Amino acid sequence: MRLLSLQVRDFRNLSQVSLAPSEHATIAVGQNGQGKTNLLEALYLLATLKPLRAGRLSELVRWGTQSARVVGRFLLKGAEREIAVEVGGGVRQAFVDGKKAASLEDYFGGVSVVAFTPDDLEVVKGGPDARRTFLDRAVFNRFPAYLKESREYGRALKNRNRLLRAGPVEPAYLEAYDETLARAGARVYVRRRALMAELGPRARATFEAIGRTPEPAAYGYHPAHLGEVDFATADEATLAGALREALATRTRRDGERGFTSVGPHVDDVTVTLGKRSARAYASQGQQRALVLGWKIAEIENLEAALGFLPLLLLDDVSSELDPERNAYLMNYLSASGAQVFLTTTDGSLVRGAAAEDSLWLGVRAGEVTSAGAVLESSSV
Amino acid sequence: MTPDPLNRLVAQLAKLPGIGEKTAQRLAFHILRAPGEYAAELSQAIREVKEKVHLCTRCFSLTDTELCGFCRDSKRDERTLCVVETFADLMALERTREFKGRYHVLHGVLSPLDGVGPEQLRIKELLERLGDGRVEELILATNPDVEGEATALYLTRLLKPMGLRVSRIAQGLPMGGDLEYADQATLAKALSARREL
Repeated sequence: MRLLSLQVRDFRNLSQVSLAPSEHATIAVGQNGQGKTNLLEALYLLATLKPLRAGRLSELVRWGTQSARVVGRFLLKGAEREIAVEVGGGVRQAFVDGKKAASLEDYFGGVSVVAFTPDDLEVVKGGPDARRTFLDRAVFNRFPAYLKESREYGRALKNRNRLLRAGPVEPAYLEAYDETLARAGARVYVRRRALMAELGPRARATFEAIGRTPEPAAYGYHPAHLGEVDFATADEATLAGALREALATRTRRDGERGFTSVGPHVDDVTVTLGKRSARAYASQGQQRALVLGWKIAEIENLEAALGFLPLLLLDDVSSELDPERNAYLMNYLSASGAQVFLTTTDGSLVRGAAAEDSLWLGVRAGEVTSAGAVLESSSV
Repeated sequence: MTPDPLNRLVAQLAKLPGIGEKTAQRLAFHILRAPGEYAAELSQAIREVKEKVHLCTRCFSLTDTELCGFCRDSKRDERTLCVVETFADLMALERTREFKGRYHVLHGVLSPLDGVGPEQLRIKELLERLGDGRVEELILATNPDVEGEATALYLTRLLKPMGLRVSRIAQGLPMGGDLEYADQATLAKALSARREL
């Protein structure tokens, strides 16, 4: 899979961008607030139809204009396809080769992207929701059906919470939603479990190479409050049964609080170093290396599963890594042969990922230019 | 200046689902120009549908008599009852010409998010109806989405203790080898619910 060209119009602060990316590294250099990240964000939206940063769709449209548009020509499995996304009036519409794309999923099968942002580097230290999002992004990429499945779970959850807040309802009514939620939740469990089983060992191995830490890393997903069930081996029906039980025993407490306190939506990913919680005990450098290990594992895993490398988007990650780990990442990127988009404030930081065929861009006040000059000045 | 009666007709037509202002205008002109009694017949048909069509007092499908055709038809098997969300779903099932039992239309699904609970649906009427002991099996044919699933599970909880056989329509791939057009979630479900031959 390869992106052949990219056009962006009225997306955040980018009024008009047109570029033909390198087959390997495309590097956008600029000061903060100039629009580097917006370029990556446009690409991320194009590939996933989802915004990279939280917020309303309307925020993606450049101030004073009606709609934003991102168009990319991709080489997908030997064929050229044009994918376009328009955002306007609070909705977005995708087009594949000029035709409205009815479902997101048609499209997920073809384009796959892994993004890596400074926020991701904080994921070990941060709260559980950030880790769940981090995990789920990897699951979406790996299992396209997960998009619909996780939405079903979300809908069942909202319904159940509404029911809890409505005050006492007849038991059979709540039980019916418990069962629906338990079944949808069991699906989410097995998806996440399957991804962790693939990713965990790869991530551990990568961390060994970059961690400079004697203790082994472990990445785990263990649903909370599920009772006696053996999560590693239980089948989906057993998990659904266990979740239903857990929901039933918490009905009263959940009713008082007005929300559901057990299920995939409250689970966490645990990351440990030598059996100790990395969140509490690992240094900042180790925590970032743990995330780096995960991200590289995600890329390798996708390549193994899809048969091609995903598009990689790295937003100013280098400045947050120490020189040695940054060098490892840059070498990995250049050796992988993947098509990579990097942003940086300092071109010299990402030198290791660059080669003769790299495209260097300068980003300033929403203008993107081909930028030999920027590189000269920053590499002194 | 267009005449007011024409404006009124356009305004009414534009309220219909899927009809925009321009289409409404085209329809209005069509009605205006149509020969003979078309306009009178159309308005009569519209009035009658409102005056004469109502819910069947037994199964809550649509009828212009007290009991609907499905309830009156003595050739239908009264031991099997198929529960559907809407009258449109009933019509879809009828088109198969496979099902020879009777129906019950719920007129919705349980959806806390939309404020629809059991008392907003024809569930009490369903239970009353089962009181005569003639029905032996219930087929729950609500949609395979979150609310449809929850409604089926709710009904199961009420009906099973009454000693009735309760079944749920199967879900999976559509017939006719359209594997390539199926969405991933449907396919994934079909794969995990595969059966040995």
